[in-house]
Amino acid sequence: MSEYKSVRVSKGRGGWGGPLTITPTDDRPLVASITGGGIHPVAQRIAELTGGQAFDGFSSSAPFDKIAVAVIDCGGTARVGVYPMKKVKTVDVHATSPAGPLAQFITEELFVSGVKLEDVEEA
Amino acid sequence: MNETAAATRVLYESTVTGVGGQVEAFLDHGLLIFFRDDSPKELHDISVLHRPTVSDEGPQAGDTIALGGQTMTILAVGDVVADNLLNLGHLDLKADGMTEPKLPGDVCVEPQSLPLLKAGDSFRIIRGGTTEVAS
Repeated sequence: MSEYKSVRVSKGRGGWGGPLTITPTDDRPLVASITGGGIHPVAQRIAELTGGQAFDGFSSSAPFDKIAVAVIDCGGTARVGVYPMKKVKTVDVHATSPAGPLAQFITEELFVSGVKLEDVEEA
Repeated sequence: MNETAAATRVLYESTVTGVGGQVEAFLDHGLLIFFRDDSPKELHDISVLHRPTVSDEGPQAGDTIALGGQTMTILAVGDVVADNLLNLGHLDLKADGMTEPKLPGDVCVEPQSLPLLKAGDSFRIIRGGTTEVAS
Protein backbone atom coordinates (compact mmCIF):
# COMPACT_ATOMS: atom_id res chain seq x y z
CA MET A 1 0.00 0.00 0.00
CA SER A 2 2.57 2.54 1.08
CA GLU A 3 5.21 3.84 -1.28
CA TYR A 4 8.49 4.74 0.30
CA LYS A 5 11.38 6.73 -1.08
CA SER A 6 15.03 6.66 -0.07
CA VAL A 7 17.13 9.38 1.45
CA ARG A 8 20.87 9.65 1.77
CA VAL A 9 22.11 10.95 5.11
CA SER A 10 25.69 12.23 5.17
CA LYS A 11 27.84 13.19 8.11
CA GLY A 12 27.95 16.89 8.95
CA ARG A 13 30.84 19.04 10.06
CA GLY A 14 33.00 17.15 12.53
CA GLY A 15 30.75 14.13 12.18
CA TRP A 16 31.58 10.47 11.72
CA GLY A 17 30.32 7.49 9.73
CA GLY A 18 27.84 7.06 6.95
CA PRO A 19 26.60 7.99 4.50
CA LEU A 20 23.48 5.97 5.20
CA THR A 21 20.69 5.26 2.76
CA ILE A 22 17.40 5.14 4.61
CA THR A 23 14.39 3.44 3.05
CA PRO A 24 11.41 2.68 5.27
CA THR A 25 9.40 -0.46 4.47
CA ASP A 26 6.02 -1.76 5.54
CA ASP A 27 7.86 -3.87 8.11
CA ARG A 28 10.03 -0.98 9.27
CA PRO A 29 8.01 2.20 8.75
CA LEU A 30 9.14 4.28 11.73
CA VAL A 31 11.48 7.24 11.82
CA ALA A 32 12.02 7.24 15.57
CA SER A 33 13.08 10.49 17.23
CA ILE A 34 14.83 9.51 20.46
CA THR A 35 15.50 13.11 21.39
CA GLY A 36 12.87 14.20 23.91
CA GLY A 37 10.70 17.26 23.40
CA GLY A 38 8.89 15.91 20.34
CA ILE A 39 10.04 15.06 16.82
CA HIS A 40 13.45 16.48 15.98
CA PRO A 41 13.52 18.49 12.69
CA VAL A 42 16.03 16.04 11.19
CA ALA A 43 13.64 13.15 11.91
CA GLN A 44 10.76 15.19 10.53
CA ARG A 45 12.66 15.82 7.29
CA ILE A 46 13.63 12.15 6.88
CA ALA A 47 10.00 11.17 7.41
CA GLU A 48 8.71 13.74 4.92
CA LEU A 49 11.17 12.77 2.20
CA THR A 50 10.79 9.01 2.61
CA GLY A 51 7.10 8.70 3.45
CA GLY A 52 8.08 7.05 6.72
CA GLN A 53 6.20 7.65 9.93
CA ALA A 54 7.76 10.16 12.31
CA PHE A 55 7.57 8.78 15.82
CA ASP A 56 8.41 10.29 19.20
CA GLY A 57 10.33 7.59 21.03
CA PHE A 58 9.81 9.34 24.35
CA SER A 59 6.02 9.51 24.17
CA SER A 60 5.50 5.88 23.22
CA SER A 61 7.61 2.83 22.61
CA ALA A 62 8.42 1.04 19.39
CA PRO A 63 10.05 -2.35 18.96
CA PHE A 64 13.54 -2.20 17.44
CA ASP A 65 12.41 -4.22 14.44
CA LYS A 66 9.87 -1.58 13.38
CA ILE A 67 12.40 1.25 13.23
CA ALA A 68 13.77 2.30 9.83
CA VAL A 69 16.07 4.81 11.46
CA ALA A 70 16.62 6.20 14.95
CA VAL A 71 17.42 9.91 15.23
CA ILE A 72 19.24 10.74 18.46
CA ASP A 73 20.85 13.78 20.07
CA CYS A 74 23.39 11.86 22.05
CA GLY A 75 26.52 13.30 23.56
CA GLY A 76 28.45 10.13 23.21
CA THR A 77 27.84 7.09 25.36
CA ALA A 78 24.43 5.51 25.64
CA ARG A 79 22.09 6.07 22.74
CA VAL A 80 24.92 6.02 20.17
CA GLY A 81 25.43 2.37 20.99
CA VAL A 82 22.04 0.93 21.80
CA TYR A 83 20.46 1.28 18.39
CA PRO A 84 23.48 0.14 16.33
CA MET A 85 23.82 -2.80 18.74
CA LYS A 86 20.38 -3.88 17.56
CA LYS A 87 21.39 -3.23 13.92
CA VAL A 88 19.14 -0.19 13.71
CA LYS A 89 20.48 2.61 11.49
CA THR A 90 21.22 5.60 13.67
CA VAL A 91 21.53 9.32 12.91
CA ASP A 92 23.09 11.49 15.64
CA VAL A 93 22.50 15.23 15.33
CA HIS A 94 25.57 15.81 17.49
CA ALA A 95 29.03 15.25 16.00
CA THR A 96 29.86 12.19 18.07
CA SER A 97 32.47 9.56 17.30
CA PRO A 98 32.26 6.00 18.60
CA ALA A 99 33.23 5.74 22.26
CA GLY A 100 32.21 4.03 25.44
CA PRO A 101 31.48 0.40 26.19
CA LEU A 102 29.13 0.10 23.22
CA ALA A 103 31.63 1.52 20.67
CA GLN A 104 32.27 -1.93 19.20
CA PHE A 105 28.75 -1.93 17.73
CA ILE A 106 29.04 1.45 16.03
CA THR A 107 30.01 1.09 12.37
CA GLU A 108 29.98 3.39 9.35
CA GLU A 109 27.26 1.24 7.80
CA LEU A 110 24.93 1.81 10.77
CA PHE A 111 25.84 5.19 12.18
CA VAL A 112 26.29 8.76 10.99
CA SER A 113 26.74 11.85 13.15
CA GLY A 114 26.86 15.63 13.08
CA VAL A 115 23.79 15.54 10.85
CA LYS A 116 21.96 18.77 10.04
CA LEU A 117 18.89 19.27 7.88
CA GLU A 118 21.01 19.94 4.78
CA ASP A 119 22.78 16.59 5.19
CA VAL A 120 19.54 14.76 4.40
CA GLU A 121 18.97 14.48 0.63
CA GLU A 122 16.70 12.56 -1.66
CA ALA A 123 18.56 9.52 -2.94
CA MET B 1 27.92 13.45 59.77
CA ASN B 2 25.95 14.93 56.94
CA GLU B 3 26.18 18.67 57.59
CA THR B 4 24.07 20.84 55.40
CA ALA B 5 25.54 24.30 54.95
CA ALA B 6 23.27 27.28 54.58
CA ALA B 7 24.12 28.03 50.97
CA THR B 8 23.55 24.62 49.47
CA ARG B 9 21.02 24.32 46.71
CA VAL B 10 19.58 21.15 45.26
CA LEU B 11 19.61 21.47 41.46
CA TYR B 12 18.27 18.03 40.76
CA GLU B 13 16.68 15.43 42.98
CA SER B 14 15.35 12.08 41.91
CA THR B 15 14.52 8.62 43.17
CA VAL B 16 15.78 5.47 41.48
CA THR B 17 12.89 3.34 40.23
CA GLY B 18 14.80 0.54 38.53
CA VAL B 19 18.22 -0.66 37.39
CA GLY B 20 18.78 -2.28 33.99
CA GLY B 21 20.42 -5.65 33.54
CA GLN B 22 23.56 -4.26 31.88
CA VAL B 23 24.23 -1.53 34.43
CA GLU B 24 26.49 -3.67 36.59
CA ALA B 25 28.70 -4.52 33.59
CA PHE B 26 29.15 -0.81 32.87
CA LEU B 27 30.33 -0.20 36.45
CA ASP B 28 33.50 -2.08 35.49
CA HIS B 29 34.10 0.69 32.95
CA GLY B 30 33.52 3.35 35.63
CA LEU B 31 30.28 4.34 33.93
CA LEU B 32 26.72 4.88 35.11
CA ILE B 33 23.99 5.85 32.63
CA PHE B 34 20.82 7.48 33.90
CA PHE B 35 17.51 7.92 32.12
CA ARG B 36 14.16 9.10 33.37
CA ASP B 37 11.84 6.12 33.68
CA ASP B 38 9.56 7.28 30.84
CA SER B 39 12.45 6.89 28.38
CA PRO B 40 12.12 4.38 25.51
CA LYS B 41 12.18 0.75 26.64
CA GLU B 42 15.18 0.08 24.42
CA LEU B 43 17.29 2.12 26.82
CA HIS B 44 16.16 0.47 30.04
CA ASP B 45 18.67 -2.37 29.90
CA ILE B 46 21.65 -0.06 30.09
CA SER B 47 20.19 2.54 32.44
CA VAL B 48 19.54 3.48 36.01
CA LEU B 49 15.91 4.58 35.74
CA HIS B 50 14.61 7.30 37.99
CA ARG B 51 11.81 9.77 38.54
CA PRO B 52 12.83 13.35 39.41
CA THR B 53 11.05 15.62 41.87
CA VAL B 54 13.41 18.58 41.34
CA SER B 55 14.72 19.32 37.84
CA ASP B 56 15.95 22.91 37.94
CA GLU B 57 19.37 23.12 36.41
CA GLY B 58 22.22 21.06 34.95
CA PRO B 59 25.46 20.55 36.88
CA GLN B 60 28.75 22.39 36.57
CA ALA B 61 32.25 21.55 37.73
CA GLY B 62 32.51 21.84 41.51
CA ASP B 63 28.95 20.69 42.17
CA THR B 64 28.35 17.57 44.21
CA ILE B 65 26.57 14.48 42.98
CA ALA B 66 25.07 12.21 45.62
CA LEU B 67 24.10 8.63 44.77
CA GLY B 68 22.49 6.97 47.72
CA GLY B 69 25.04 7.54 50.49
CA GLN B 70 28.02 8.17 48.19
CA THR B 71 28.95 11.75 47.32
CA MET B 72 31.46 12.91 44.73
CA THR B 73 32.65 16.24 43.39
CA ILE B 74 32.03 16.91 39.72
CA LEU B 75 35.27 17.66 37.85
CA ALA B 76 33.96 18.38 34.35
CA VAL B 77 30.67 18.69 32.48
CA GLY B 78 30.11 18.39 28.72
CA ASP B 79 28.14 20.86 26.60
CA VAL B 80 24.97 18.79 26.14
CA VAL B 81 24.69 17.51 29.72
CA ALA B 82 22.16 20.11 30.90
CA ASP B 83 19.84 19.52 27.91
CA ASN B 84 20.10 15.76 28.34
CA LEU B 85 19.35 15.93 32.05
CA LEU B 86 16.50 18.44 31.98
CA ASN B 87 14.81 17.06 28.83
CA LEU B 88 15.38 13.33 29.23
CA GLY B 89 16.57 12.79 32.79
CA HIS B 90 19.68 11.49 31.05
CA LEU B 91 23.20 11.64 32.39
CA ASP B 92 26.41 9.74 31.61
CA LEU B 93 28.49 9.65 34.79
CA LYS B 94 32.13 8.66 34.31
CA ALA B 95 34.61 8.01 37.11
CA ASP B 96 37.51 8.80 34.78
CA GLY B 97 39.15 11.70 36.62
CA MET B 98 39.01 13.90 33.51
CA THR B 99 38.96 17.66 34.03
CA GLU B 100 37.94 18.22 30.39
CA PRO B 101 35.06 16.05 29.24
CA LYS B 102 36.03 13.62 26.50
CA LEU B 103 32.50 13.59 25.09
CA PRO B 104 29.83 16.31 25.18
CA GLY B 105 27.49 14.15 27.26
CA ASP B 106 30.01 13.34 29.99
CA VAL B 107 29.92 14.23 33.66
CA CYS B 108 33.34 13.36 35.09
CA VAL B 109 34.28 12.57 38.69
CA GLU B 110 37.38 11.18 40.41
CA PRO B 111 38.22 7.55 39.65
CA GLN B 112 36.33 5.42 42.21
CA SER B 113 33.91 2.53 42.42
CA LEU B 114 30.51 3.86 41.45
CA PRO B 115 27.63 2.36 43.41
CA LEU B 116 25.25 -0.18 41.95
CA LEU B 117 22.07 1.65 42.82
CA LYS B 118 18.73 0.08 43.62
CA ALA B 119 15.13 1.19 43.53
CA GLY B 120 14.44 3.71 46.27
CA ASP B 121 17.96 5.19 46.31
CA SER B 122 18.27 8.92 45.82
CA PHE B 123 20.12 10.69 43.01
CA ARG B 124 20.87 14.35 43.71
CA ILE B 125 22.99 17.18 42.35
CA ILE B 126 23.88 19.88 44.85
CA ARG B 127 25.60 23.23 44.49
CA GLY B 128 27.46 25.31 47.04
CA GLY B 129 27.74 24.86 50.77
CA THR B 130 31.06 23.92 52.25
CA THR B 131 33.97 25.06 50.11
CA GLU B 132 36.30 22.52 51.65
CA VAL B 133 35.03 18.99 51.81
CA ALA B 134 37.19 16.61 53.78
CA SER B 135 37.94 13.65 51.59
